[in-house]
Amino acid sequence: MTDDLLHVIWLTLKVASVATALVVVPATALGYALARWDFRGKRLVSALAGLPLVLPPTAVGFLLLRLLAVDGPLGRNTLGFDLGLLLTWKAAVLAAAVMSIPLVIRTARVAFEGVEPRLEMMARTLGYSRIETFFRITLPLAGRGLLAGTLLGFTRALGEFGATVTLAGNIPGQTQTLASAIFSAQQVGDNSKADLFMLISLAVGFLAILGAELLSHDRRSSESGK
Amino acid sequence: MTSPASLTVDVRLELDRFELAVDFSLSQPVTGLFGASGAGKTSLLETIAGLRRGASGRVQLGDDVWLDSKAKRFVPPEQRSIGYVPQDGLLFPNMDARQNLLAGERRARASGQPIQETFESVVELLELAPLLDRDVRTLSGGERQRVALGRALCSGPRLLMLDEPLASLDMPLRRRLLPFLERVRSELTVPMLLVSHDPTEVQALCDDVVVLRQGRTIARGEPREVLRDPEVFSLAEDQSYENVLPAHLLRREEGTSIVRLGSGESSIELVIPRDDMSSGEVLIGIPANDILIAPDRPGRLSARNVLPARIIEIRPIDRRALVTADLGTGIPLAVEVTETTPAELGLKPGLDVFLVIKATSCRLYGEGDSSPEPNDYSAS
Repeated sequence: MTDDLLHVIWLTLKVASVATALVVVPATALGYALARWDFRGKRLVSALAGLPLVLPPTAVGFLLLRLLAVDGPLGRNTLGFDLGLLLTWKAAVLAAAVMSIPLVIRTARVAFEGVEPRLEMMARTLGYSRIETFFRITLPLAGRGLLAGTLLGFTRALGEFGATVTLAGNIPGQTQTLASAIFSAQQVGDNSKADLFMLISLAVGFLAILGAELLSHDRRSSESGK
Repeated sequence: MTSPASLTVDVRLELDRFELAVDFSLSQPVTGLFGASGAGKTSLLETIAGLRRGASGRVQLGDDVWLDSKAKRFVPPEQRSIGYVPQDGLLFPNMDARQNLLAGERRARASGQPIQETFESVVELLELAPLLDRDVRTLSGGERQRVALGRALCSGPRLLMLDEPLASLDMPLRRRLLPFLERVRSELTVPMLLVSHDPTEVQALCDDVVVLRQGRTIARGEPREVLRDPEVFSLAEDQSYENVLPAHLLRREEGTSIVRLGSGESSIELVIPRDDMSSGEVLIGIPANDILIAPDRPGRLSARNVLPARIIEIRPIDRRALVTADLGTGIPLAVEVTETTPAELGLKPGLDVFLVIKATSCRLYGEGDSSPEPNDYSAS
């Protein structure tokens, strides 16, 4: 029982961490592009990037499943080899990443939009190239917002259920995360187990969201002067 | 500092409501860009700095061509060695005042400047020592502008561009900061381009002024001369003219201070309100509409200054007339009267008159006093 429990917690944290790590750089980059650049198809990109937020997670999971199926565009028949994702913990990572990326993109975009572009111009006149300006001015100024967004993405990944069970299944010891473990326990009527998992989810989720809240709140209070 | 190089600007740029089309080169240490808001001054600065693209033509500093649209040459802003000071300072909120001052350190080093020495002299010049460890978000408006100016000076600039550096401040604070700009002007050899719509600032700081209206140059030349031009006069912030004269503070008496205008034989003394802060060279501001003009020497008066002068010219300006008189110091003083006054009093060029100036009408723009500013967090 404790081994099961520990494994579920460990797998959940692993899946959410890996998914967040995969997502954070591309999502931040896309958030920056959406905040700062005007390009053709910007609205389309923005809409597509937000899509997982509004679709039923099972629909997203099923879409990914079709893509990765043997005869799908990313399946063995098309690629000539097997990516070996389906029904593994990696599939859970993929599902969690796709479901959390819109949140990270959105918060990154808002964080970058909050940085005065004239400060970036100022930095250029002081001899900073575009890239240096990004790393020395823009990124530090957007930092808290980006961190809060990443934490939010992480919590979303922690709780991912619909897309995960569709793509990775709910295999105890292999792809069963907290979310699917609660579902399984409840299905077989093991309420005490479900209670335990629920309380653990509650604690982890609460800590993460509190952290995100503190980060954004701290910024407001320090901006109003010390 | 590197040796001053002259700036040549010949650009055209399509703006929202008109086309900016200017062609000038700077030969004086400090050149003013004067005009009402929306005349294209900031767009021009941004074009020179490389912050705004889309201009055609040519921008060149010394031998360095920054923009040549025919040759498709565009040097990015970070390679233009410009010290830029905007209205609102634009200090980096993620750094303290010292880090802000040193933000352009790398370029200063690359330009061969001894950064430590520059830093120390800028801190002294602008009296920044007490501010160095402050969070820039807690600085007052005037402190912020001084740090912004210092940051530009510490970055090894070959050209300083100040975009209405005092405009976000209220009048008393502007007067207090003007001497800092004066010091930068007199102690450093970096050529300066100063955008302003404040005639006092232009007279106090500029050797040369370019006047812009709707993107075009409408006048150019010595500030005191150009600013009395009726067309230029009407562009001023509050449509009034203030004489700004260099003076030397001689002595203090009860309730008043005495300054000397001009030098040698032709110098004259002027009584102004007592000032305990300043000494030595100062600037005196006298609003043109606070001076009375009398064809004959007036009898007993409460005004402390009755100065003989000779009328040089009379210009009509929008239902008023601006009479310029020479005090014999070589510095003209403009007096604003109503449209009909010259005819009624028989004023004409060459006529000897008396100018009556109340001591309390004279403002002193002294050497920087370092007393703390009121906490004007809301000054912006």
